[in-house]
Amino acid sequence: MKGTPPPLYSRRRDRGRGHNPAGRVILRALFLMTAFATPSSVQAHVVPPEEFHPVAESYRRLIFLVNLNPVPWDLVASDVGVISTHLAGIDPAATNKFRTSVEGDLTVLAGRGEAGPPDSRESRAAARRVFTHTTRATAATLLAYLESSKAQLEDHRRARTAADAARQIWAGFEHEVRRSDPSGFMEVGGAWLELTSALGSPGFLDYGSAPPVREEFDAAVGTIRSYILANFGPDYEPDIEGPLLPLPVWSPTYDTEAVIPPKLPPGSNLNKQLPRPRQILNMAERGVDEGDTTLIALGDMAFDSPYIFGDPARSLQISCNTCHNKSITNPGFVVPGLSARAGGVDVSNSFFAPHANNGHADSLDIPDLRGIRFTAPYGRNGRFSSLAEFVRNVIVNEFNGPEPDPTLMDGMIAYMNEFDFLPNPNLQSDGWLVASASAQARRGEEIFHRPFDGMGGKSCASCHIPESNFLDHRRHDIGSVMGSGPHSRDGALDTPTLLSAKYSAPYFHDGSQPTLHDVTQWFNDRFSLGLSDREQHDLTAYVETVSDGIEAYEDTMHTLEAEMEEFSFFLSTFEYLRKIGKGHLNAMTFQTIALEIHAHKWDIQAAAYLPVLNHMAALMEQAVDAQISGDSGAVESLVAEYRQAYEKNADSLK
Amino acid sequence: MSRFIHFTNITIFLACFLALATGLHSAGGREPATFRIVFIAYENPNQLLENVGPVVDYLEQALNREVRAFVATDYAGVVEALRNRTADVGFMGPLQYIMAHTQAGALPLLGEIYNGKATYVSRIFVRKDSGIKNPEDLRGKSIAFVDPISSSGYMYPLNIFRDAGLLKGPPESFFRRVYFAGGDEQSIRAVYHGFVDAAGIGQYSYNLLRPEERDEVISIAESRTIPSHCLVARKGLASRLTKALTTALLALNEDGEHHHLLKYLYNVDGYVKVEHETYSEVEAIAKAYGFVK
Repeated sequence: MKGTPPPLYSRRRDRGRGHNPAGRVILRALFLMTAFATPSSVQAHVVPPEEFHPVAESYRRLIFLVNLNPVPWDLVASDVGVISTHLAGIDPAATNKFRTSVEGDLTVLAGRGEAGPPDSRESRAAARRVFTHTTRATAATLLAYLESSKAQLEDHRRARTAADAARQIWAGFEHEVRRSDPSGFMEVGGAWLELTSALGSPGFLDYGSAPPVREEFDAAVGTIRSYILANFGPDYEPDIEGPLLPLPVWSPTYDTEAVIPPKLPPGSNLNKQLPRPRQILNMAERGVDEGDTTLIALGDMAFDSPYIFGDPARSLQISCNTCHNKSITNPGFVVPGLSARAGGVDVSNSFFAPHANNGHADSLDIPDLRGIRFTAPYGRNGRFSSLAEFVRNVIVNEFNGPEPDPTLMDGMIAYMNEFDFLPNPNLQSDGWLVASASAQARRGEEIFHRPFDGMGGKSCASCHIPESNFLDHRRHDIGSVMGSGPHSRDGALDTPTLLSAKYSAPYFHDGSQPTLHDVTQWFNDRFSLGLSDREQHDLTAYVETVSDGIEAYEDTMHTLEAEMEEFSFFLSTFEYLRKIGKGHLNAMTFQTIALEIHAHKWDIQAAAYLPVLNHMAALMEQAVDAQISGDSGAVESLVAEYRQAYEKNADSLK
Repeated sequence: MSRFIHFTNITIFLACFLALATGLHSAGGREPATFRIVFIAYENPNQLLENVGPVVDYLEQALNREVRAFVATDYAGVVEALRNRTADVGFMGPLQYIMAHTQAGALPLLGEIYNGKATYVSRIFVRKDSGIKNPEDLRGKSIAFVDPISSSGYMYPLNIFRDAGLLKGPPESFFRRVYFAGGDEQSIRAVYHGFVDAAGIGQYSYNLLRPEERDEVISIAESRTIPSHCLVARKGLASRLTKALTTALLALNEDGEHHHLLKYLYNVDGYVKVEHETYSEVEAIAKAYGFVK
């Protein structure tokens, strides 16, 4: 090291130009990275994304994408490109072979756009071919990095960089190998550890250097190479039956009965927004004691419970609250292949509920549920006249759940009927602006009520009726939907309310309009309203004013205290459900509380209380078992103990 | 792309040349016209340089001279920069400081505070279902450390076994197998998956496990406290400058106009004044391990 210091990178004043060396620092790096994730820091149940090598990331995403129907071929082509580029950097010959093997399919299919190919049989065959060749290419990239490391073993920095890349690409196979071949997983995992140790150490400032141990290194490489070649090498073919997954079927210890849990692709984000939106429940605003609203409490629990859904949503711990966080939206929610953009998702897809797949990609912006009791009909196209119909469809057909219990459904509707709009001091009760509203907003109000020739003599207020919560409860085709074909009549959408809308960007059914001003401009262009630039801004100012609200977000980043309080609210249903003989709903409540405690416990600021949370979660897990086995005495005792633990420690559980 | 790389390489060269040139005039206790800080970047040097811009501006006001930030991609680069005077101060870990002090006469100025403390610990992690309850249970078992040149990822966790009287010779005299996994995450994950029986790593490594994985892994022992990372001055830097720098950075601890700048400085909670004696124990352990004489 001495005499050849690594380069320094300078920040030049006023330019800030930087560079991109492949730096690798091991000591401080993790200290700093993980310092942000300690129990005493603000986490608020934020799960960081898994980090992958670009090849593993693209491969994991491709696995998800090729199993969708229709396959989003444009995204597949993008990930194939990433893998191809990396392979080209280390094994050009293999790259040419890979490109040749997939370019035919990708050229034809990726050019057809998001609607996907009309012939699903053709598409499935192409997906199988692309998956097969991409698996081989990913394995080839891994092996090429291994060989590179081996060839440069005397140059520690280069050897380690290549070995790290190989190990990180292995992560692309780990999810399936770990579940279907535990013995093979342990063998290969141990080999990676042997390999890393055998690299030796360059030391630091002339101290502590250790030469590589070639014999051990070669042995570890041999173990890994054999496993990769046997299972994912040049002869790799996926199972004829079942999903396209990298299963190590040629390993002697492969378990044919193994269940592979669902896994979302890299780039997914299910974290809820922070700061948390402020939820306004009508009964709470009226000062009603929560202990008196059992049905609402049951609905609150169900809204937060993945157990009302089926797999894969259940395994992925997705609940209504994941997308409609605190009944609002989740602008950061995204699943590549299912979300056209952040804050939206296709809920009629082949992943969450194959039986209800509508066969085409139609990602919808997640709607805000505030004031939902006033906004019938339901669904973006208003196809459900009642909220109960809509909710049942979400549970059964969008997220593959069992037919919901009638009491549970009643609870969900009771809970959702409590969702209120944000209070808005800019509005009178009839929906007109108050006199103190800004001059610009008042000019916009005039425009909002102005009839336009381009809209057949109607005004904005014709549909967004201020006196009626800015709704007309009707459906209109305003030209924002791409129809199924020429002259199709499938573009009508339910008129959305403008109340509280300032906090639910983006806009339109597909989230295609990022801001309210974009919406104004879209209408001005689409209907040739002829508004000047100033008038457009006036109209936007008006909409921003009527869609505003008091304290749209909570003023704390710490959410554990509120969550724990909510779990007690859930448990307030215990006596009622036992009385009416709905023990299975109590089991769901216990299970949901245990799950939620485990999900939120890492947010605790006083780490010493983590064992208390673990104990409370364990009580609920035991209560589930006791409920299932019919031991009502044990259930009662465990619930009592949970309540006591909460009462005793509530002030510290935050 | 290749043109870009070529261009940036020239830029780096020029930057280093200029920095070196100004450094030649700042030998001894004289005050350099340009004050140079070297940061350690573990992910994205570009981003780090952008992020520290407001800090540089703040320090220019405080030091009343041009301040320039540099980024090194490993600790050897930081220490070399202090040794050859291409930087005046730099950030590093406690073991690196002791080695920089021994080899280049560097002196510590400030220690970093995280989670309210200027120290942290290493821990011995095992799988909860392993049945391993204390360090002695690891006799004849395998253990993963991070790197042989690491305070929290080798020296301090290994010292747990020495302090307990379990280890008197080389690590292999107690453990069946000692691995260097190459990183904190690799080490803790090796335990989680059961590739090794234990890992000896910094306390925060535990949080690199995903939340749903953490309940499977527990800590069975804790090391002596380790001084946190520090800001170190090169030998001979004028005391008036070191005083002005420490005053300016300590002022960030207080709620005020500039408090937010801490988030650009590795998101520390603040700083505390340190002296060479703060690292006496690190030095003693480093000597025992042969890192310094």
